[in-house]
Amino acid sequence: MSEKVFVTGAGIISALGNGTDATLKALLSGHSGIGHIRHLATEHREFPVGEVKLSDAEMSRMLDAHYPVDGLRTVLLGIIAAREAVASAALSEADMQRTAFISGTTVGGMDKTERHFKNVFDSNTATEDSLEMKYNDCGYSTELIADGTGRFGMVTTTSTACSSAANAIILGAGLIKSGIADIVVAGGSEALTKFHLNGFNTLMILDHDRCRPFDRDRAGINLGEGAAYIVLESERSALSRGARIMAELSGYANTCDAFHQTATSDDGEGAYQAMRKAMDMAQLSPSDIDYINAHGTGTPNNDECELTAMQRIWGTSLPLFSSTKSYTGHTTSASGSIEAVICLLALQHGFVPGSLGWKNPIAEGGEPAASTTTGLKLRHIIDNSFGFGGNDSSLIFSRYTEANE
Amino acid sequence: MNKRVYINSIAQVSCQQPLSDEWFTSPHIHSESYVRAVEPDTNGLIVPSEARRMSKILKRTVCTAITALNNSDVQQPDAIITGTGTGCMENSEKFLIDMSRFGENCLKPTLFMQSTHNTISSLISIILKCHGYNNTYSHKGISFESALLDAWLQIRSGAIRNALTGSHDEVTPFMALVMERTHPEYRLVSETSMSAVLTDRPSARNLCELTSVKLLYRPVLAVLADRLAEDSGAAIMLGVNGKEANDTPYLELVEAVGGAPRLLQYKNIFGENFSSPAMAVYAAATILGRGEVPAHLCLGEQPTTAPESITIVNHSDATSWSVVRLKKI
Repeated sequence: MSEKVFVTGAGIISALGNGTDATLKALLSGHSGIGHIRHLATEHREFPVGEVKLSDAEMSRMLDAHYPVDGLRTVLLGIIAAREAVASAALSEADMQRTAFISGTTVGGMDKTERHFKNVFDSNTATEDSLEMKYNDCGYSTELIADGTGRFGMVTTTSTACSSAANAIILGAGLIKSGIADIVVAGGSEALTKFHLNGFNTLMILDHDRCRPFDRDRAGINLGEGAAYIVLESERSALSRGARIMAELSGYANTCDAFHQTATSDDGEGAYQAMRKAMDMAQLSPSDIDYINAHGTGTPNNDECELTAMQRIWGTSLPLFSSTKSYTGHTTSASGSIEAVICLLALQHGFVPGSLGWKNPIAEGGEPAASTTTGLKLRHIIDNSFGFGGNDSSLIFSRYTEANE
Repeated sequence: MNKRVYINSIAQVSCQQPLSDEWFTSPHIHSESYVRAVEPDTNGLIVPSEARRMSKILKRTVCTAITALNNSDVQQPDAIITGTGTGCMENSEKFLIDMSRFGENCLKPTLFMQSTHNTISSLISIILKCHGYNNTYSHKGISFESALLDAWLQIRSGAIRNALTGSHDEVTPFMALVMERTHPEYRLVSETSMSAVLTDRPSARNLCELTSVKLLYRPVLAVLADRLAEDSGAAIMLGVNGKEANDTPYLELVEAVGGAPRLLQYKNIFGENFSSPAMAVYAAATILGRGEVPAHLCLGEQPTTAPESITIVNHSDATSWSVVRLKKI
């Protein structure tokens, strides 16, 4: 288990824009991507969302992809981000054969399914419309993203709701450490759908205003969408290719809160163990952590329990922490990798994004970074992703310097 | 130094007698094109008040998981790693039906809360109060092998000592109708729930050793054939079902391997769905554990001796492939 895992590429699309450059610019300027619904065909237009500004047709044209424009938004978003990740790591066609693609998603092709479902269901027979349902499941979406990106040697899909992308990255690291793969493109993709917008609405955890993670008066989530992938690579492969090393994935952990399907335990046990175990793997002590990109959904339950878990580790002297969901919305299955790319940008450019909309702390000592701070030298960052079912995962990205100072 | 990985116990719910190996000697033969699982008796496995609130797939999952654990050397697993192609389909379908009938208001939160793929794996962790590693793979017909790969890697490296792993899929009558169009290559659409305990400890209970798990995407046939030829003594278990669209990739592969390998099948007994490869591992582990091969799993003549090892080859749409190797202890 001594093999190191490096990050040698990244790609992202979200409400903040298309690509790492646009994302960096938006984060530094403190502009949120959350706004009114433009593309999603829902009655619930009262909810602000972090929607990607491009329509399916626009993305299809951009990619020169021959996908039907009525749906498969998860695939279109995924290809855009995966292609950027592969290009930024400068992977050749020969490299791709020994590269695995692991993508997290939960809605998969649900956008297409929900368009055709009524016709198929009412007809009560196997119709042409039934064929459209083939794209419903997660694996098909992943394979279409893989096929639109390059010739990967292995492909699979994690589906653990809002921690899916983080768990894809964790499997990717495991594949590299065990020598199964030299290079892994890992992350997640998730489009907004009526299914989960309505689902979250039935739980009454959507905020009618801009979300305010870690604020005393927070009132829930703004859903978002997008995709992001990072390229993980073994030290041997990265050095022999002369790859540009962006960071080291020095630690990670996946734990389970084992408490409730959709709520977090009061003491945040799952979150606590995830951060603890990730630091153990990275051989870091709490004081080594310079920034936590929290899961911070903006729901009363999540933020309070996540803060409790952090305070169990750091007491009242927490490292800088913030939730970037007030920029991107909660991109559910993609959030783990979207926030991983944000952490990589923060490491490289020495800044911490401020918690937009935050005013008052939940508890004493629970103040997140209120505004964006630049000029920092960050060494180690924790990226938290917590999902339904208490699926809690933490990743630690560490600054890489050639001299290993 | 890599650790060895063993299958310590295994339990199933399918179109055969549930939580039993009765199929080994007297299988139900199904001639229809769609069959539902035979529901297990939940008595003693699930608290009755809890069982009433669970969908079919959740009940079957808990029954196989608890049975596998009861029959194993492990009380609390270090990890719970699950495969499922479509997750909690019944609840997702009900939510979609309500949305298409009543619009976007008055929807039920419970259906949504228990509709995600990881509801299954999480439920086991909540029942066991297991804070360990918990992951769910959902990749068409290699969902189970993806979960198995994760468990195998982690036990082999010493990161965990054991894992509860399995694969679960339910197929509603409506989805069966849809699958007539989306999966014309299936002969007998069925439902699967399988749980297994993997361990690094030698034990008299162990059924077999899990020596390798490999996933391949759009592999070159010759490369795949070379991989199979590495263990020429192994019997090969294939997902053939008699339909050309499904069988051709397998038969081309067997031809490329050359020689006359002993071939086994399982879909004639357990049908198929995204989780059915879990039944291949279950059937192969049972063969190796008992040291005999039932005639109904043989393609061709029934051998007089049981194989020393079995290589399970599976494809999903001929894009995603898996190769799983099991060895007699």
